[in-house]
Amino acid sequence: MRKVYLHSRCELLPGDPEPDWRSVFSVMEARRMGRLLKRAVWTSSEALKQAGIDVPDAVIIGTDFGCIDNSEHFLKAVKGMDDAPLKPTHFMQSTHNTIASMIAIRLGSHGYNATYSHRGRSYESALEDAWMQIALGDIDTALVGWFDELTPLLAESLAAQGIDPREHALAVVLSSNPDGAMEELSL
Amino acid sequence: MLPVLHITGAGVVSAIGCGQEETLDALRKGLAGIAPVQYLQTDERRFPVGEVKASNKELAARCGAAEGLSRTSLLGIVALQEALQQAGLKDLTGVPLIGGTTVGGMDLTERIFPAYSRLHDCGASTDAIADHFGGAPFTTTLSTACSSAANAIIFGANLIRSGRADIVAVGGSECLSDFHLHGFGSLMILDEAPCRPFDATRAGLNLGEGAAFLILESETSMKHRGARSLGILSGFGNACDAFHQTASSENGEGAFLAMQKALAMAALHPQDIGYVNAHGTGTPNNDASESAALRRVFGDSLPPISSTKAFTGHTTSASGSIEAVFCLLALREGFIPPQLNWKEADPACITPYPGASCPAPTGHLPLKHILCNAFGFGGNDSSILLSHA
Repeated sequence: MRKVYLHSRCELLPGDPEPDWRSVFSVMEARRMGRLLKRAVWTSSEALKQAGIDVPDAVIIGTDFGCIDNSEHFLKAVKGMDDAPLKPTHFMQSTHNTIASMIAIRLGSHGYNATYSHRGRSYESALEDAWMQIALGDIDTALVGWFDELTPLLAESLAAQGIDPREHALAVVLSSNPDGAMEELSL
Repeated sequence: MLPVLHITGAGVVSAIGCGQEETLDALRKGLAGIAPVQYLQTDERRFPVGEVKASNKELAARCGAAEGLSRTSLLGIVALQEALQQAGLKDLTGVPLIGGTTVGGMDLTERIFPAYSRLHDCGASTDAIADHFGGAPFTTTLSTACSSAANAIIFGANLIRSGRADIVAVGGSECLSDFHLHGFGSLMILDEAPCRPFDATRAGLNLGEGAAFLILESETSMKHRGARSLGILSGFGNACDAFHQTASSENGEGAFLAMQKALAMAALHPQDIGYVNAHGTGTPNNDASESAALRRVFGDSLPPISSTKAFTGHTTSASGSIEAVFCLLALREGFIPPQLNWKEADPACITPYPGASCPAPTGHLPLKHILCNAFGFGGNDSSILLSHA
């Protein structure tokens, strides 16, 4: 088993000011993307840039609720609420793997691609998946992310269950290469 | 090369039956489970579906589960029960559970919206399955749309390869929901008639539901427990088409890479493959793209290929493990599931396996290795390779 190293880490915390999206997308692209996707693509690009990697061997994402804002829009339409129209884009971008897919399309990354959705363990599982594959020698580098957004309804529902509702926008890059690493990652 | 990963238990439930024997019987007799909506609460009645022929109450009673669970969990419990039993396991003590789902508890949420069920999320549906069997030492959930269960199998295999587990329960579960029936409808990829994978007149898929789990273990664990091998997971591949959010590329790049990786990992050649259980949804785009990928892998000498989605409908997140169980049955019986509903060749598609011209249940085909494809939205393409023990 090989050692696994952390090479970069980029996080947007809930209170942070919005970054300058133009460093990563055009104005048009930014307009088409929801907030969650923008934060995901931006932190991923920054983490890869910091690690000096163009295309990682794997893109592995953890998300507790996926693109919940799109799911809600589509649910409203299905339930005939607020005269909401049934928009295929809302459904397409409601699946949890939309984020990892969008990142792969932008990077032109044909490698391993996976999404974990297991509340409280989504990111841990994504990290473990990347760690195992690097340790086993299947891949050399991986982009791992943790992305979640909140809607008022979800925040209310989680709070009622005694769970602190939180958004996540975190991207890290792992590699088998010790040169320039921040630290070794042991799981 | 992989260390030997044995499959020592399998459980399945889908529109064509509950359990391996009912399933095999339907596959052999060519009996599809596609029919008008009977159990799902929906106002969308245009499309036939592959429902598991039981209400939630009946499912709960069958496995002794709590009725308030999502149908995703109930189906998962039914399938996992069979898998554990066959592997000679009482419960999940010492057995991590890796599930795959996308719908999760959406069936519960859509009944009470605008409010969320506390069992809404994907992880809650896997945890409910684990809890039914006394809890697992570790649970997690893959959600890569229609390849979720295949990727759960891959993650579980890596847990064993890296020495983090000796034995795992892996698979997927997905129930029909009003949400995704409307969703696939809005994408205009549902057929109002039974689906016709690889046929020139194919016009879309039929949604299905179901669950399947496998017990995967190391050789040491299997021998130590005195369990029997049903087959070997000899390779797998996961690749991304990286083309479009819901459409597949013309040359099937993701599918091609996934199959090629699986073959390389197993150190097998294309000519070693005796059958391919295709993803074959019946949409014009998927079947043409997958055919292009199959032609790139196999050249002119294609093995028998069929899509069993004409039997079950597209069981989305569960399809990877449901079809893996079909492949295990095929290996056990030396039997290749025929392509139902196929009449007219399409130059853009492979010609699927039509089945023996006369029923020959005792006829033994030299089946040693089977590729099983599961592709998902987002270009999440996975292929697993199953071999004779």
